[in-house]
Amino acid sequence: MAQVTTDDYDRRQRMRWWSMRVVLYGLLIIWAIICLFPIFWTLTTSFKVARNVMQGDILPWIEFTPKWLGWRSLGLSPDTIANISTVREEFLKRFFNSAVISVSASALAVMLGSLAAYGLSRFSYRFGFMRNSDISFFFLSQLILPPVVLALPFLVLYKELALLDTRIGMIAIYTLMVLPIVIWIMRDQFASVPVELEEAALVDGLSVWGAFMRIVMPLVLPGMVAAFILALVLCWNEYFFAALLTATDAKTLPVMIASQTGSQGINWWSMAALSAAGILPLVFIGVLLEKHIIKGMTAGAVK
Amino acid sequence: MSTADGDLLHTVDADNISDDRRRLGRLLHWGAVALMAGLFLVQALYESGTISFGFETWRPVLAGYILWAIALCISRVMIYGEQGKKSLFVLPAALFVISMVVFPLVFALWISFSDWNLASLTGRKFNGLDNVRQMASDPFYWNALYNMVLYTLVILVEYAIAFGLALLLNAEIRGRKFWRVTFLLPLMLSPVAVSWMIGKSMLEIRFGPISRFVRWLGWENPSFFSSPELAKFMVMAMDAWTFIPFMMIMILAGLQAMPKEVLEAAEVDGATPWQRFWEVTFPLMLPVSITAVMIRIIFKLKLADIIINVTSGGPGGATDSVTSFIFREYRDRSNVGYGTLLAIVYLIIIVIFMTILLKLSDRIVRRVTGAG
Amino acid sequence: MKVHIHENLMGKQASRRDVLRGTAVAALGATTALAGLPKSAKAQDNVRAAILQIPGVGKGSPTDADWQKVGEMCLAATKANVKEGEFAGVELTFMGLNNQNLHNFLFRGFLKPWEAYTGAKINWIDLAQADYNARLQQAIATGTVDFDIAEMGAPFEGDVCGKGLASEMPDWVKKQIDMDDYVDYLKAPVGTWEGKTYRISIDGDCHNYNYRTDYYDNADFAKAWKEAGNDSEWAPPKTWQEVQAHTKFLKGKKDPLTGLSAHGYLDPLKGWGGFGFYFLGSRATAYAKHPDDPAFLFDPDTMKPRVNNEAWVRAIQDVLDVIDAQPADQINADPGTTGFQQFLAGTGSGLSWWGDIGSNAKTSDTSVVGDVTGFSILPGSDDVWNHKECKWETLASGPNYAPNMAYIGWGVYVMKTVESDDKKKRAAWSAAAHLGGKDLSLWCSAYPSGFQPYRQSHFNIAEWVGAGYDKAFIEDYLGSEADSYNHPNAAIEPRIPGIFQYYSVAEDELAKIYAGQYGSAQEGADAIAAAWEKITDQIGRESQIALYKASLGL
Repeated sequence: MAQVTTDDYDRRQRMRWWSMRVVLYGLLIIWAIICLFPIFWTLTTSFKVARNVMQGDILPWIEFTPKWLGWRSLGLSPDTIANISTVREEFLKRFFNSAVISVSASALAVMLGSLAAYGLSRFSYRFGFMRNSDISFFFLSQLILPPVVLALPFLVLYKELALLDTRIGMIAIYTLMVLPIVIWIMRDQFASVPVELEEAALVDGLSVWGAFMRIVMPLVLPGMVAAFILALVLCWNEYFFAALLTATDAKTLPVMIASQTGSQGINWWSMAALSAAGILPLVFIGVLLEKHIIKGMTAGAVK
Repeated sequence: MSTADGDLLHTVDADNISDDRRRLGRLLHWGAVALMAGLFLVQALYESGTISFGFETWRPVLAGYILWAIALCISRVMIYGEQGKKSLFVLPAALFVISMVVFPLVFALWISFSDWNLASLTGRKFNGLDNVRQMASDPFYWNALYNMVLYTLVILVEYAIAFGLALLLNAEIRGRKFWRVTFLLPLMLSPVAVSWMIGKSMLEIRFGPISRFVRWLGWENPSFFSSPELAKFMVMAMDAWTFIPFMMIMILAGLQAMPKEVLEAAEVDGATPWQRFWEVTFPLMLPVSITAVMIRIIFKLKLADIIINVTSGGPGGATDSVTSFIFREYRDRSNVGYGTLLAIVYLIIIVIFMTILLKLSDRIVRRVTGAG
Repeated sequence: MKVHIHENLMGKQASRRDVLRGTAVAALGATTALAGLPKSAKAQDNVRAAILQIPGVGKGSPTDADWQKVGEMCLAATKANVKEGEFAGVELTFMGLNNQNLHNFLFRGFLKPWEAYTGAKINWIDLAQADYNARLQQAIATGTVDFDIAEMGAPFEGDVCGKGLASEMPDWVKKQIDMDDYVDYLKAPVGTWEGKTYRISIDGDCHNYNYRTDYYDNADFAKAWKEAGNDSEWAPPKTWQEVQAHTKFLKGKKDPLTGLSAHGYLDPLKGWGGFGFYFLGSRATAYAKHPDDPAFLFDPDTMKPRVNNEAWVRAIQDVLDVIDAQPADQINADPGTTGFQQFLAGTGSGLSWWGDIGSNAKTSDTSVVGDVTGFSILPGSDDVWNHKECKWETLASGPNYAPNMAYIGWGVYVMKTVESDDKKKRAAWSAAAHLGGKDLSLWCSAYPSGFQPYRQSHFNIAEWVGAGYDKAFIEDYLGSEADSYNHPNAAIEPRIPGIFQYYSVAEDELAKIYAGQYGSAQEGADAIAAAWEKITDQIGRESQIALYKASLGL
């Protein structure tokens, strides 16, 4: 009798375990579809022609035959890649600009931001009436600034400084844009590093800066990578200031994507090809560095 | 800027700073100030036509500012020694932000009290509080503010979903790396591309896959942006789609750092899974949750790209966010004075709102972590 | 020779069919007469025929390689005026639209061979259509005109030429582009400001009525129409009253081409950076533009808006009346979506659009309606509002037609920035003239380019047929264009500063009216009028009145 009940109990446990598994993986799969389908849609649409778009075909090779139409309009299909293409030149130039601007701005922001965050987490400052928490809030409040407030002033300022349409100008403004978020993340990072480590280093004769460089930096490196990637994503995708402040030399990719529409409607295949080309670098970085992002945020997560 | 007592990291200031060194430091600093002020003065006089020599642009003044910034940093060390070195951590970022923000903000304040239509032949006219009065009677600005409240409230739902996803990813599952990368991807996509490929292409009412899906579910004539409620929901959903991964990743990071013993102890005590979550996991996750929600709120307050590209605020302003509303006033109608005033008012509102929120959340965290 | 025959016929105000029959015959005659003409003329004809074969009608949308080839083949006019390598070392900046595969994309291809020949280099500023007005206004207001050549619409002449920012066109350019060939309404005063010429036209804009012939050939529809108790024939609408009736009738029917729901006239209900207002304008001009009154938007003496008079309110009410007959989600469809995702993709029986939907119907990759599209001038109205006497009038001559010359087309303008340097100035004008060249423009009007016919020489049916167009189709298309351009009661929009601000604010208010946020069409129209008054005061009422009068030729 007792034997039977245990069996029964076991079976019920197993049943529960299995149903939990089913629910768990079911949810995972549903959300994965939600995340991946738009990307899949973008990629496949770039290989469609008008008829496939109109019919809403989804599966390549089964519902429609992939064509290079979208990529040809960018000069990136196999049959046009060898020819001179003004569109491709334009695309590559913007791609290069986007890369240079977003990488430099993110790097600069991580550098300035880490220093500031370290200072704020270790020392007390006084600047007029402002104390540490006020200074922190001063930095963070930059994040709140709606870009529209700064639009025209920046246009005038940059014109006077001859920074309009320059990469340096864009790097500066993007650094300003992502600096607060870097400080926010890095502050938590430094807070999780025990002060005793540095005190020991100081006793060993290192200076404050020496302790920072040799002891603290290596510990928070994952966090810096995470902050860098986040900054990179924001800079790479920024549209508003790019549209406002660039013209020929420093123009970036999102402006090209956004301006693909006009009085003539949209060629979905070209739009999709351009969007795909615009998001792929970040998708690639995401796949490659995902581990670091989570590790980086972990350190500061629980105090 | 000087460091005060109460440093977390105490240092022993053993340096002996001679008076000469101090004097030299001050000299350097004031020399740089003089140079910068001189450059500024020359250029200002040149621009106003008082003197005939000057530079073509204000760039030399910028160079003067940079020089001064460097001189300031060096002089800090020269005058205050170790203490000065500490201020070097914060000074570069502070100087950078000040240089980038102060002028534009002052200028913005200046134009926000003026009647300035870019197409006007006469240019800017000071008009006192007219813009404020116009704002007070502009129902569509208030409507946009009201929308922002709704958009912000939805963050709670986003947070719940993000927490759920983080728990899923933290469970015992196979191929964790794959799921994690997959769930993270939407964060990487540009809002502009999202607007087009999801907002316009996938939601296209005839051939868009989502329309076909809901038609298959039995909705004969799907239309996603025709009723105000649904249009708002679609905008929220698209925005949530890109930003849920952000909160998810922060919470997941928190979950992974959580000490396992705590949960095991709770299990030994016979707590149900629900109790374990509600009484152990959730309070432990509260600090990171609040950080995630705060950052999310700040991003949400700037919500604009998707609305501008997909609905232009339609139908009839139902989906307008403040930024997209100002954007139209500003860009399409070149009504710079009024648009800037709206933006400044918005800025003041959200600074107050965020200050309160930060103080409030600080208190909550302290109470919960103190009690737990 | 074809040109003057055409001119003659036009001069006589012959009906459209007559004109076309005439030109077709003349063209036949011209081919046989060619043998006796000087060689150069023949060579030029060959060029025109040859470029029209690139890539050929029905061969899909042209690509970058095609644009470069066309640019190369049309260089003769440049070569006559400019020595090879003459502009070496000159750098020019060109600002234009970045519409997909059109505008700047084309210009790049066209100008690539020009750059190779002259040695100049061109930098590009690409703008989205919705960003265009804002960018231009900002550049002007903050003194950041950082471009030498601009692709710009005539409505902006008030902003640019009025502020003395443009460079006057040298005489050699006028000759190179053969300005006499322009259709009449594009000749001065359009393109000029205070008597000086600034603009090289590359486009001529008017709205005409595009409809689906298969809807009207459909016997089932015709039968149902009669059964519904209608006396009139089931035929393409001639008046807005008919458009309204047809649209209501078609609700709930099935589209003969796609098998999906049928819809009647398509109203774009969402704004489009100001451009959306033209679509209400197209509905309203027949009501509001009285043949005896040149104005229809404002009172010329006071700049008091007319947009809330009975004529405009009636047009708004018309839109409201058929909103439930529109495709689902139409409230979120801007004109671009309506024209290209809907009409060209087989939704809707008709819409107002610029001429380029006609060339797109046949040659664009997106179109499925190439064989079933017909064209006419915008519908008229049985009665017209007499604003002076404040009453509706029925004209003795029949329905009132008033084609909407929306936007007056894109042009290329050279900025003052080049004036200090003679070589640069010559280079800029040479580049602009290349884009506005007679042969190049023929290609642009025949293929998807964003531009429509604007020269008398574009109305030569034989050339289009030679390119592979169906004769009946092209007669219909070009005929509707010509009828609109030459219409005596055309509604030509005012070229006053800030005109797009008026449009933009109207668009926003219209969106609210369509979403039902105002009590009535009148209430909404009053809101538009109030907003317009405010803009006028902001920009300066006296100067606006003067400029408005000048643009009307008063």
